[in-house]
Amino acid sequence: METPKPDLRVDKDGFLADYHEWNEQAAQLLAEREGLGPLTKDMLDILIFLRSYYEKYKFFPIIRAVCKNVHKPKDCLTEEFIDPVKAWKIAGLPNPGEEVEIFRDWNPLGF
Amino acid sequence: MAKEMKPNEIIQSINYTPPAKPWMELPVEIKPGMFCWGAKAKSLNILGLPNARDWNPSHEDWKLPENWKDTVLEGMADRLKKYRSFKLFMDICVRCGACADKCHFFLGSGDPKNMPVLRAELMRSVYRRYFTTPGKLLGKLGGARDLDINVLKEWWYYFFQCTECRRCSVFCPYGIDTAEITIMGREMLNLLGLNIEWIAGPASACYMKGNHLGLEPHTIKSNVEFMLDDIETVTGIKIDPPFNKKGADILFVTPSGDLFADPGTYTCMGYLMLFHELGLNYTWSTYASEGGNFGFFTSNETAKRLNYKIYAEAKRLGVKWILGGECGHMWRVLNQYMDTWNGPADFLEVPRSPITGTVFENAKGTKMVHIAEFTADLIRHGKLKLDPSRNDDLVVTYHDSCNTARGMGILEEPRYIIRNICNNFYEMPEDTIREKTFCCGSGSGLNAGEDMDLRMKGGLARANAVRYVQQRYGVNMLANICAIDRAALTTSMNYWCPGVGVTGVHEMVANALVMKGEKPRETNLRGEPLPAKGGEGNV
Repeated sequence: METPKPDLRVDKDGFLADYHEWNEQAAQLLAEREGLGPLTKDMLDILIFLRSYYEKYKFFPIIRAVCKNVHKPKDCLTEEFIDPVKAWKIAGLPNPGEEVEIFRDWNPLGF
Repeated sequence: MAKEMKPNEIIQSINYTPPAKPWMELPVEIKPGMFCWGAKAKSLNILGLPNARDWNPSHEDWKLPENWKDTVLEGMADRLKKYRSFKLFMDICVRCGACADKCHFFLGSGDPKNMPVLRAELMRSVYRRYFTTPGKLLGKLGGARDLDINVLKEWWYYFFQCTECRRCSVFCPYGIDTAEITIMGREMLNLLGLNIEWIAGPASACYMKGNHLGLEPHTIKSNVEFMLDDIETVTGIKIDPPFNKKGADILFVTPSGDLFADPGTYTCMGYLMLFHELGLNYTWSTYASEGGNFGFFTSNETAKRLNYKIYAEAKRLGVKWILGGECGHMWRVLNQYMDTWNGPADFLEVPRSPITGTVFENAKGTKMVHIAEFTADLIRHGKLKLDPSRNDDLVVTYHDSCNTARGMGILEEPRYIIRNICNNFYEMPEDTIREKTFCCGSGSGLNAGEDMDLRMKGGLARANAVRYVQQRYGVNMLANICAIDRAALTTSMNYWCPGVGVTGVHEMVANALVMKGEKPRETNLRGEPLPAKGGEGNV
């Protein structure tokens, strides 16, 4: 794991400015900014899956696909992070802008 | 943005007493929670629409071009010439008020400018002033008024508080289609870049990538593969659906929401299972990967451009006809506009079910059949083995999607299917279903997060009817055949009728479908245990 960067660079909405600057320590800092306590291993597994999915598909996975892939019950993402957009943010993924509203409403599980 | 209202706050806020002042003297007030964010420069640029810039509807300055008034009036003149219906609808209303209390937004808000007659009057008053002699001579006395910035803002606010559902039109003795007035209003607003981002964003994504969500081909495939994996878990059957297959008999097109979000994904699993069981020679397309059309909420021209890919793909793949999934506005476009916009599709055949031999004469023009028609026909001919008891945990009611019910008359087919796949089905009150169905409250691109008060006010009339059957019959599932409904009604039911879930009809079809070689089913598609046989699971 890389040494954590002391100055976490985020944009105006709190998304990591550079997707590549993410590591576990950065995730912990991002989680604190979102009012979440220390990240557990289960939460980190979800974040790592979100990042690997994004790298390949440039999109948010079907919510329950996340849970199936990390071998957790199908509501795992919303149970761990409440808001899927928070999970996306803590995973250091780029600011989706207004499209985030689409995720919100096309995903009734979280809201 | 203001804090969202609670259900009891909405109920208490409804006041049907008209204001003391005449409506023309009441300036528009842009209220938080009642409007959507303005279209971004990025989205309008992709679509090549005018006056692309970032703007905020709650700010005083909407960054309009200097000659905006001329642009609107010229746009209006063009459309009055081009669309006879528009001219007619501007002229013939006698303001009888039959439509006034038929609009879900008026019923849920009490705002008189949400009466369809008055919403249209916002535009008619300008029409009279600039395009009729009495209006030019008599001004306000003749029901006319100048077009100024406040009038323009009023147009924007109220034409994006109409879901183009056309319930009011059912009650109009002249048959005025108020949705067409809203459509024209939005067209003229779009000449000034005054769209909303929740429409312009998906429309631009569709223009670039073929679907509203902006899913790329490999992402579509990955999502479908995930669903196939779930299907295998539930049924033991491995399905390998064709993508972009040249020479298939049928091209299948559905709204992209079904590929991404629950509960639409379960409906999508239903399509996959049904087609597999039939051994249908069909194909998905990663190019024509959107049945819906948010261009339709922008301008006819934008809708036409986005619609083009469906026939183009059918031609490229060499299919015989097109089958369409469960969607609402998609079908108004396909049924009423596609043929003349991008047809004639004379390279296709009149649709004929390869399973039953039924020829869909009703789709002779468009060559596109709704899946509810297709499946109802299969059941009618005894081609599906169904076990409705698998849906015995559900007490179902059916919401007619505005566009399929009023826009193309699909009333019986979904009901016929539902009666064959579940044992507990109850209708909502007569005045709230079929051609008089109430809108979900979030259609025509208003399904955003920032206008939640508007959506919940607009959703009240529908939810009230659901609440009635929930209390009377214990209804716990609201079935529908529309992707926007599946998203919007989930939110609305959680808000107004907790305990009522939302499902697509083909999710229930797939749960009831007894497939060849399947393992004994233990769960439904959502992974929930099936109801116990013999009545224990019955409600």
